[in-house]
Amino acid sequence: MPESTALEIIDLRFRYASGGGSAPGAPWIIDIPALRLAGAEQLLLTGGSGRGKSTLLHLISGVVELAPPCSGRISVADRDIHSLRGPARDAYRAQHIGMVFQTLNLLHGFTALENVMAALMFSGVPPRAHRDRAASLLASLGIDRVDAVPEQLSVGQQQRVAVARALACSPTLVLADEPTASLDPENAEIAMDLIQNACRERGAALLCVSHDPAMVQRFARRERLDDLRSTLPPCATRAA
Amino acid sequence: MALTDFAIVRRSLRSRMFSTCVTSLTVGVAVALMLVLLSMRDSGRQAFARGSGNMHLLVSRDSSPMVSILNGIYYANSPRASIPWAKYESLAASFPLDFAIPTQLGDSYRGFPVLATTEEFFSAFEPNIDEPWVFEAGGGRAFDKSFEVVVGSTAAGETGLVVGSKIFLTHGIAQSRQLGQADAMAPHEHREFEYTVVGVLAPTGSAHDRALFTALESSWVIHAHDRRKLADKDIRTTTEADLLETDRLITGIFMRVATRPGQQVTASLQTVFDQLRRDTSIVVAQPVQQIDALFAIVSNIDQVFIAMAAVVMVSSAISIMLALYNSLEQRRRQIAVLRVLGCSRPRIFGLLVTEATLIGLLGAGLGVVLAVAGAFAAAAALKEAIGLVVSPNFGLELTLAVVTGAVLLSAAAGIIPAIMAYQSSVADHLKPLG
Repeated sequence: MPESTALEIIDLRFRYASGGGSAPGAPWIIDIPALRLAGAEQLLLTGGSGRGKSTLLHLISGVVELAPPCSGRISVADRDIHSLRGPARDAYRAQHIGMVFQTLNLLHGFTALENVMAALMFSGVPPRAHRDRAASLLASLGIDRVDAVPEQLSVGQQQRVAVARALACSPTLVLADEPTASLDPENAEIAMDLIQNACRERGAALLCVSHDPAMVQRFARRERLDDLRSTLPPCATRAA
Repeated sequence: MALTDFAIVRRSLRSRMFSTCVTSLTVGVAVALMLVLLSMRDSGRQAFARGSGNMHLLVSRDSSPMVSILNGIYYANSPRASIPWAKYESLAASFPLDFAIPTQLGDSYRGFPVLATTEEFFSAFEPNIDEPWVFEAGGGRAFDKSFEVVVGSTAAGETGLVVGSKIFLTHGIAQSRQLGQADAMAPHEHREFEYTVVGVLAPTGSAHDRALFTALESSWVIHAHDRRKLADKDIRTTTEADLLETDRLITGIFMRVATRPGQQVTASLQTVFDQLRRDTSIVVAQPVQQIDALFAIVSNIDQVFIAMAAVVMVSSAISIMLALYNSLEQRRRQIAVLRVLGCSRPRIFGLLVTEATLIGLLGAGLGVVLAVAGAFAAAAALKEAIGLVVSPNFGLELTLAVVTGAVLLSAAAGIIPAIMAYQSSVADHLKPLG
């Protein structure tokens, strides 16, 4: 049986359209000839600030458009996410991709349970199953105060809620954007244990981007974004 | 239960409770204003039509037909000029009339006007068409001699007068005279003549409910007594035998042109009207025409008010837009997170429009409550001030139309913020703060 593919990037070239960056000959922010992530595989992608790590995650999740002159193919769970348009892409993202952010980005005014249920709203999971599924996920991550709003939870608990939300719809791929950047080393360890173990247990692939050197030892597979770059001249087209 | 779009909208509104309440209140005031004006306009016209009843013409010596109607039917003021009795007799005999009821205004009881008239006022005149006078159960009868008085329902309710009560009338209507007016005919109580209440009328929904009615002769007698006392302070009493021709004055005549039984109009009405108009010593008014003329004036003001209500409604829609726009600045991150979780742009658009619609719906509901309360308060004030009985009529159709209009306008107000939310960049708003 062939190994499943969580993420496959082929010939991805991207630069922002605004600020003159779209001018012919302007350098690509992202230039990745090929990158593949197998199902349940965990990859750490490193690179300095402003190197396009977050942009890559937004491209993978489909919230940033890949429009000409940018090009390439980004497949998540064997489907080119940018071939989908509008609500279809959003629904696909809801079903296949979970995201963990540096600042957690929990919905304020909503309880821990509602934050997780919010991820299920758009996933196609039958509504009657939402509450039980979210509650059991939170319980498995050690959150018992499911009716507490984020402000009433410690940072560590908020981190767990954020991870639960990312895993709520059993995604194929979890994207973690600098998940430890605002944490001290001890809490960063705990947070990464949580994310990596939760993904492992649920069979979700993990693509974590970070510029934190301490993260390197946690991942069997590591890549530097700059090393993935094409060796072709910046202004050249793939055909050339 | 799953989290729903409606729950997200509700949570958003609750998180901005003050703004939501103020914005809803603005919509509510606009809806209430619109409903009250529209409902009172129709019921106000109907209410004004009450009181003239089955009379065709009102003759007086007021300055204009409109003033004549306002004084003679709505008791707005005491007429300032009188018609001699001989003139009345001449007019009554000159035309084919079903009735020509003489009336005299000028006295009052505790601020309520007293109309001196004849018994025909109760037997021939109907305050509303096909609704003759009715006395309250056990409320007595019409007067049949001097110094008997019949009390309108509102006047009775507010003064506590019942059959058998003894009262003294006041010369003049205190509220309608200017302060500092010092003359022999200034307001004063006729303590020499005691009146007995012999009847209390059932409500008619007209200004007559705020009046008292007494025999014309008794009114002439008390004023003749004033005249005689000016000449001789020792005069103790006055009777009908002491009346001079100059004491026999009236201020108005309720006329009905001879009409076939069961019919309200007759072709000869216009002829009689035209002939009476040629007499420059009197003013003749057709109540129906004057009420129409009055409403033609008022309807212009109505339109101004309705336009103002519409402006208030548009302002409330703008305030909804501003409230949503301001909240949007704080909610772009939340919107970005929802987008990452899989919420589509059209759904984000829908959330914002739903939020605006809900504010409109809350406001419209509040407006209906305010309108009902406000209209009844206004009706009570009108009844208190001029005795006009207005029954606010909030038809389902009118209410639904105004509520629907307000809700649609509110929804439309949500469109611009919704478009901004729709276009909001996800990546930009997921960046760490600071």
